[in-house]
Amino acid sequence: MAAVLGVSGTYHDAAAALVVDGVLVAAIQEERLSGIKNDPALPRQAMQACLARAGLTAAALDRVVFYEDPYAKLERVVASTLGNFPRSLRQFPRAMATQLGSKVWVIDQLADLLGVARAKVGHVAHHQAHAASAFFTSRYPAAAVLTVDGVGEAVSTALWHGRDRALTCLGEVHYPHSLGLLYAALTAFLGFEVNEGEYKVMGLAAFGTPRFAAELDRVIHLADDGSFELELSYFGYLADPELGFGPRLEELLGPRRTPYRPWDLAGSADDRRYADVAASVQQVTERALVGLARAARARTGADALCLAGGVALNAVANARLARAAGFADVYVHPAAGDAGGAVGAAILGALELGDPRPAALTTAALGVDVDAGAAADLARAMGLTVTTSADPAVDVATRLDAGAVLGFCAGRSEWGPRALGMRSLLASPRDPDVRDKLNRAVKRREPFRPFAPAVLAERLPDYFAGTADDLTPFMTTVVPVRADAAGLAAVTHVDGTARVQSVTATSSPALHAVLAALAAGGAPPIALNTSLNGAGEPIVARAVDAIGFLLAHPIDGLVVDDLLITRGPA
Amino acid sequence: MIDRLRDLVVRLTSPLVWRLPGHAPRKLEGFARAEAGSRIDLLAAAHATTDVGRRARYLRHALDETRHAAMFARRAGELRTARGLAPAGPPQADTEDLFARLGEVGFLAFVHRGEARGRRQFEVYAAHFARRGDARTAALFEGILADERVHEAYTRALLVELCGERGATRAVRRAGWWAAWRGWRRVGRGLAHGLYAATMTVVYLALAPLAWLPLRLRARRARRRWLTAGGPPAGAA
Repeated sequence: MAAVLGVSGTYHDAAAALVVDGVLVAAIQEERLSGIKNDPALPRQAMQACLARAGLTAAALDRVVFYEDPYAKLERVVASTLGNFPRSLRQFPRAMATQLGSKVWVIDQLADLLGVARAKVGHVAHHQAHAASAFFTSRYPAAAVLTVDGVGEAVSTALWHGRDRALTCLGEVHYPHSLGLLYAALTAFLGFEVNEGEYKVMGLAAFGTPRFAAELDRVIHLADDGSFELELSYFGYLADPELGFGPRLEELLGPRRTPYRPWDLAGSADDRRYADVAASVQQVTERALVGLARAARARTGADALCLAGGVALNAVANARLARAAGFADVYVHPAAGDAGGAVGAAILGALELGDPRPAALTTAALGVDVDAGAAADLARAMGLTVTTSADPAVDVATRLDAGAVLGFCAGRSEWGPRALGMRSLLASPRDPDVRDKLNRAVKRREPFRPFAPAVLAERLPDYFAGTADDLTPFMTTVVPVRADAAGLAAVTHVDGTARVQSVTATSSPALHAVLAALAAGGAPPIALNTSLNGAGEPIVARAVDAIGFLLAHPIDGLVVDDLLITRGPA
Repeated sequence: MIDRLRDLVVRLTSPLVWRLPGHAPRKLEGFARAEAGSRIDLLAAAHATTDVGRRARYLRHALDETRHAAMFARRAGELRTARGLAPAGPPQADTEDLFARLGEVGFLAFVHRGEARGRRQFEVYAAHFARRGDARTAALFEGILADERVHEAYTRALLVELCGERGATRAVRRAGWWAAWRGWRRVGRGLAHGLYAATMTVVYLALAPLAWLPLRLRARRARRRWLTAGGPPAGAA
C-alpha cells in the first residue's frame, strides 16, 4: 500500500493528485489556489493541499510521478527546431532557454520543493498519463483508449488497449501532425487565445455552416486506418510555436480575425465567415476523431471507449463519437487536458507499487473544502448580510425559481474545467435575458457562448433526447433538447443542443438537493449551471474568492453550504 | 533618495514619453498588468493572514485593483481604437508570492511603498493630462488616485498596528532595499537573457549541419502515419 503524488505542470494547467492505498484522495489544479488562470508553475499549493487532505506530509510519500518525460521533450524540441533550420532561428534560443533553464530540471525541482529524495521522483510519458487518467478512472474492465492533444513529448495522438490494470499502446501519431495543434491554429486564426479559446470555437461553430470543409481537407489528410497527416505548409508552429498558422492558411480561408474585437454575428459578414470557419474546423475535427475511434474499435474489439487529452474536452465531438463509432459506452476524464495528467501519473505510480486499481470516478469533488465559518466571519467583516438556512436546498430552489442568480459553493471544489455544482453560478434555465445578462455583466464573454443545464439524472429523458450515461455527469457531451421541452431557452444553444450535466446524490449532493427541491415545488428539476469565476479568472475555490466574486459581480447572493450571503437584507 | 530621484525623472520625462507614438495605450496596459498582479498578491494575502479584519482589508484592496486593471485596460482600448491599433485584450498578470516570501509585515511594507510611489506617479500623470486637455485620461488617474491614497493610508496604519511607529518605518525602509535588490536582479536577468540568446544563436548555427538528421527521420515517419509503440504495457505491476 502506497501514497503516490502525481504532478503536471510547466506548460499550462499545472495540477497535483494524490492516490493513497489505491484511492484517489484529492486532485487539485494549481490555478484554483494561486488565482492565476491556467497557472503553469509547478503546483506548490496544490501539492500541499492534496497532502493536507490526506493528513500526510511529503515525507510519507512513497513516490512522486511527473506526467511527462522532460528529457524526451527536450529531444523533440531540439530535433524539431534543428529540423526547421533556418526558419527556427528566433525560436531556438527561446526554446532552449525554457527547456534548459527550467523544464529539464523539473524532477530535481519537485524533489527540492517537496523535500523528498530525488530517487523517489520519477516520470511517465505524457500520453501514458492521459490514457491512465481516462481508463483507470472509468468503470470499464476493458476499453479502447484514445489520447488526443497538441503534443506531449513527441506524441500528439495515441491509441491504447486498456485491460484491468494494464494499458498497452497500439499506435501513435507524432508531432508535428496533431489534431490539437490544428484546432489551436484555427483558434488563433479566429482571434481567440490558444489553450483557452477552444471552447469558444466550439460554441461559435453552431452559428456557422461548414462551407470551408473542402478547403480544410487540403490542410489535414485523413487515412482509412484512422491516422491523419497535416499539410505543414499551412502552419507556423514549426518555426515558432506562438505562430499557430502560416500565411498559406490565410490565403486559403481569408484574413485572420483581429483578436478581442467585439463579435457581431447578426450584422457583420466577416464574423459570419468566421463562424463558418469555426463550423468547418469543428466538422473536420469530428471526422478525424470518428476515424480514430473506429480504428480503436477495430483494433481492440472493445465495447467501451475512454478519451483524454485536450481535444477530448470538445463536447460536441464527443457526442458524435458516442453515436458514430460503434462503442456501447464512452467516458471522458473530467480533467481531460494537461491537468488530468497528474491523476494518470499518480495512478500509474500506485499500480506499479502494487496498489489496486482505483474505483470508478463518480464525482469530481476532489478539491479543497469551502470553510463556511470563515466565509461568515469574512462576510460580516465586509458588511455583508449572513443568514443561516434551515433548509438551504429549498431556499435556493425558491430563489432560483423567482429569477435570482446565485453563487453556489458546497463541499469540495471540482476537478476539471467544469463547474459541476460545487463552485457554480446557478440561475433559472427559462429566461434568455438571464443568459444575456450573465454573458454581458457577470462573465463578460462573447454573446454566442451557451450556458449549460444541470438536471436530475433520472429526469434527463423528460427534457433531453437521451439518457444519463458516462459522459453526462461531467458535462463532456452535448445532447439535443427535446422539441416538447418548454422553459429551457437560457440553456439551449442555437443548434438545439445543450451541454447537459446529469446530477445524482453521489456526484453533487448539494446541487442534487436543490434540483430535487425544484421538482418538489413543481418546477423542472433543472438549473442553469455555469462556473463561479470572473472574466479571465479561474473558478473560485475558497471562501475568500467566493466572497470577492459576490462583491465584484451583480449577482443576487452567495450560498456557502447552509449560509446565504447577500449585499443587502437577505 | 532613490524614490525622490525617480519622482523627478517621472516629472521631467512624462511630457515627452506620453507623446511617443503608441506609447500611451502600452503604458496604460502596463499599469493594468501591474494592478492585476497586485490583485493576485492581495488575494494570496487575504488567504494567508490569520486576522479576519486584515483579511477583509486585503480582499477589499484586491477588488479595487481588479477595478483599476479594468479601467486602465478600457482606456487603453479606447486609445488603441482611436489610433486604429488592434485591441490588446485583457491584462495577463503574474505574481511574485510576496506574502509568502516577505511575511505579513514585509508584504504590507512593500505594498505601502508601492502605493505611495503609484500615488506620486499618478499625481504627475493626472496633472499632465489635465494640462494637455485630455479630460478622460486625467479623470482616470484622478479616480484611481483616490483609492491609492486610501491604500497608502491603511497599509501604514496596519503596519503601525503590527509593529509600532518605528517598526513600520524600518519595515518600509527594508522594503525599499528589497525592491532595489529585486531591480538589480532584474537587470542581471535581462543581461543574462541577452547573452544567452546570443550564445544559443551561435550554437544553433554551429548545429545547422545536423539539421538533416531530424529531416530524414521525419520523412521516414511521414510514410507510416501510425507508429507502433514499443515497450511493456503501462500500469501493470
